[in-house]
Amino acid sequence: MSSGAAVDPCEKCEEMLQPYLDRELTDAERAEAERHLDGCSYCRKRYRFEEALRRFVRQATVEEMPPALKQKLADLRTPLF
Amino acid sequence: MGETTPEAEPRKLAEEARDRVRFEEEALELADQVYRVARRFVSTREEAEDLMQETYARAFRAWRSYQPGTNLRAWLLRILTNLNIDRGRRQQRTPDLQPLEEGDYYLYNRLEESGREPNVDQERVDERLSQDDVVAALSAVPHDFRDVIVLVDIGDFSYADAAQILEIPIGTVMSRLHRGRRILKREMAEQAVGSAS
Repeated sequence: MSSGAAVDPCEKCEEMLQPYLDRELTDAERAEAERHLDGCSYCRKRYRFEEALRRFVRQATVEEMPPALKQKLADLRTPLF
Repeated sequence: MGETTPEAEPRKLAEEARDRVRFEEEALELADQVYRVARRFVSTREEAEDLMQETYARAFRAWRSYQPGTNLRAWLLRILTNLNIDRGRRQQRTPDLQPLEEGDYYLYNRLEESGREPNVDQERVDERLSQDDVVAALSAVPHDFRDVIVLVDIGDFSYADAAQILEIPIGTVMSRLHRGRRILKREMAEQAVGSAS
């Protein structure tokens, strides 16, 4: 982990993790995060872990709709005649 | 000039019927995606099924208020969210007011401390957390925070869409998402390696 002066760059990088993965950083902020990640394996590992974790959470929590429910919803349609 | 001919009324009715059928078909095509969100808004499959049926019944009745060309999935989720609030679930919520010191690296650090360094190269997060662990962890996140996570991370909605669906400012979406994900990671850490103390 890099250590620093007033603001720990790893702490700052940690703060940028979520907006980075959500693609909500400005170009300048993104470039700053990527510069830090290029040189910091501590943060790089954690960013890659977070990406994998998000995919895993999505896969783990998705439950497909029961086919019978689909039919019930279709039955709610307004009859044409 | 606004003149009506004897043929105009049946033609109008036919056009309306066609628009309605198209709306219903498009809404039904989105049902799988809407269900994925509904299922994580509530605790049980039965509640999710009831909510879906109420949502689609209301949507089919109110189809004229949908503006074609806008985000139909978000429109359906807005109805679903309002119905969920009407069911009284929101009154039972308790805001998570405890200080949250865990940062975004918390889960990784806990796994690392436990001697099971996350094998991120192979993305094998699932070696340490089962599907049930993740579902239980998500269920433990307070509703306000969980709803935003479900919409953005599972439903794939933008911050702006989530704000519209939940009728909250976009800044609130961002802050709840930020805090909610940290709470989720804390819960997952407890599932994976036990509580911190």
